[in-house]
Amino acid sequence: MTFPAKFPQLNETQLTEHARTVLIRVIRVAFPHSRIPDGPYERTADIILKEAQASTWFRVALTQGLNSLDGLAGGDFCALDDDNAYRVLKGIEGTDFFGFVRRTTVLNLYDDEEVWTVLGYEGPSFDKGGYLHRGFDDLDWLPEPRIEEYDGPETFEPIWRGPGAAAGNGASTPTPDSGENQGKLAATLSTQQDPREGARPADQNPAKASV
Amino acid sequence: MAEFDHDDDSVVVVIGSGAGGGTVANELTMAGVHVVLLEAGGHLTNEDYVNNEWQAFNQMAWLDPRTTTGTWRIAKDFPNLPAWIVKAVGGTTTHWSGATPRFNAHEFQTRRHYGRIEGANLLDWPITVDQLAPYYTQAENNIGSTHRGGRKPQPANNNYKVLANGAERIGYHFYATGPYGTNAEPYDGRPASIQDGFNFQGDKNKSKWSTLVREIPRALATGNLDLRPNSHAVQITHDNSGRADAVLYLDGEGNLHRQRARVVCVAGNAIETPRLLLLSGSALFPDGLANSSGQVGRNYMRHTTGSVYAQFDKPVNMHRGETMAGLIADESRHDPSRGFAGGYYLETLSLGVPFLAAFADPGAWGPAFTAILDGYANTAGLWIVGEDMPQETNRVTLNSAVTDKHGLPVPNVHFDDHPNDVAMRDHGYRQAELLYEAVGATSVHRTPPYPSTHNMGTARMSARAEDGVVDEYGRAHDVPNLFVSDGSVFTTGAAANPTLTIVALALRQSEHIVDALKAQTL
Repeated sequence: MTFPAKFPQLNETQLTEHARTVLIRVIRVAFPHSRIPDGPYERTADIILKEAQASTWFRVALTQGLNSLDGLAGGDFCALDDDNAYRVLKGIEGTDFFGFVRRTTVLNLYDDEEVWTVLGYEGPSFDKGGYLHRGFDDLDWLPEPRIEEYDGPETFEPIWRGPGAAAGNGASTPTPDSGENQGKLAATLSTQQDPREGARPADQNPAKASV
Repeated sequence: MAEFDHDDDSVVVVIGSGAGGGTVANELTMAGVHVVLLEAGGHLTNEDYVNNEWQAFNQMAWLDPRTTTGTWRIAKDFPNLPAWIVKAVGGTTTHWSGATPRFNAHEFQTRRHYGRIEGANLLDWPITVDQLAPYYTQAENNIGSTHRGGRKPQPANNNYKVLANGAERIGYHFYATGPYGTNAEPYDGRPASIQDGFNFQGDKNKSKWSTLVREIPRALATGNLDLRPNSHAVQITHDNSGRADAVLYLDGEGNLHRQRARVVCVAGNAIETPRLLLLSGSALFPDGLANSSGQVGRNYMRHTTGSVYAQFDKPVNMHRGETMAGLIADESRHDPSRGFAGGYYLETLSLGVPFLAAFADPGAWGPAFTAILDGYANTAGLWIVGEDMPQETNRVTLNSAVTDKHGLPVPNVHFDDHPNDVAMRDHGYRQAELLYEAVGATSVHRTPPYPSTHNMGTARMSARAEDGVVDEYGRAHDVPNLFVSDGSVFTTGAAANPTLTIVALALRQSEHIVDALKAQTL
């Protein structure tokens, strides 16, 4: 935890070009995307530096945090390979410094149009007429599904009584507030269910999905 | 637009212009009743909305300070943002996703059907699904719900294609692209969706129903509505007999006004509504207005939620098209053999890169985190939304340590998951993973609940005054001319997205108020 100094002179620090270089490296190691070029990382670092100018607290935290990284790296943080640099950051992830960098990066690196393009997010669409004629339904590697509600032989049982329960026993016949029902729920609350048991009876027999 | 005098005590004052308040204002003004509609937020229009997640969030969201306590992860990741709702004319209907399932019949009678569940404050609603059915139909017609009233379904977008195929392969039947509150074809004077993918950011195209595009313009056209944006209610006052007689509110400059009222309807969403009632305590109502039961602010529900994002080796582009036009109802049944009471829906959901980064795994960093985003184009997503247990200790209170810029105590939202909620969420996560793996997912990621979009239960309906805050019409048990008109009245939360039910209840309440005003009994 870094506290503002009692005497203001201590807070009159400036971040150097080296500090900016270290910060850019910190962001890339913490949020590695091989396809994203340097530009968005540099812009994010500059946003962090700008926000630090507005807050003595964060400026001091940032200054001291960046300063400490070279020491933790045995001299030059930027000289570490990705794995070793990641390990150094893992060791300080609980600090105000890292938390500030992490939060500000998440909010800004991913609000960058160059990043969107790389990741395949197309951003604003209304002015382009939406996606009605630009691929909202262009997925072609699965069959076209039904869009209407189910109209087949199965009926939805709002209160499920298990396989073999006759249709029509559900909605119209309320379950009494019985000890039997309570006991069943209490007994099963802590039981690990096979998730397949959540599916409908038509699905009781086929081989279990391999997961 | 009408302008009524602050001393006009013949008006009905409605607080909040969202699904509940906007509907009540429209119904009353249509019946000739004079209404003053106080909306805390500004009057944004569809043209103002922006196709950018953070800009839209800052433009629309309710960002007044709030605090959180409890073991829910929100208290750690977003301690001042318990809920993601809107502060603007139209309220949260201007950013809702649009899913409009009705409650199942048994979800109005959970105490009866689920039995006694330790720690859960279950209570049967004082109304049944049959009583609400005609209002559900009317609400669906107002909203323009697809798959209902002969309206066309939404087409299958990419995210739905993945969901529906996965559903089919794991044996689900009850899936479709709705019911959904956005036009698939022109309806009610508004155009069909252009599938632009922006819903939480406000719909610039006006294809999505909101009270901003339907109820409020119609109410204004009657000449009986005095709409006052930037008007933040801070207290409801009462006369010596205990009848509400006025609402104190702050305008955009922070000036305090007093609007006299014949009837007051509160619809500030389930955090601000109890906050206002608690702020309205007096010698006659020492624990807050309408709180003789002690239930104001309690039983706060937010639905049991979670998301699963799955990556494939081929493109999905989930961000294209209507966000929530895809719904699976199979798990919405009550089936205790699954290990929990109540049910849940699986609904398509998509976030853009900015919000997926913020919400996929708050606090995370490193290669495991960036892998979620690297696969963005090949990602499909869904939302688990199910019934959570009402608990007396899940509660909105006034924070005695933190005040807002007006010096008023901020609301504190305390929430702990019930074991039933945890069991349901885990089941939903597993089913979602099975579903996506059945259509070839190469990886799946579980995302924790977002700040609450469904807020319910903090002024609940009850047959008996000692069990809840309002009666079957939303009328306060303790104050004869005070109504609650939003999701705060939900006795229990059901699995369904709440907007349709809020509108249906508001329609029923409006009819009751108009009848009572005509009969001079209110």
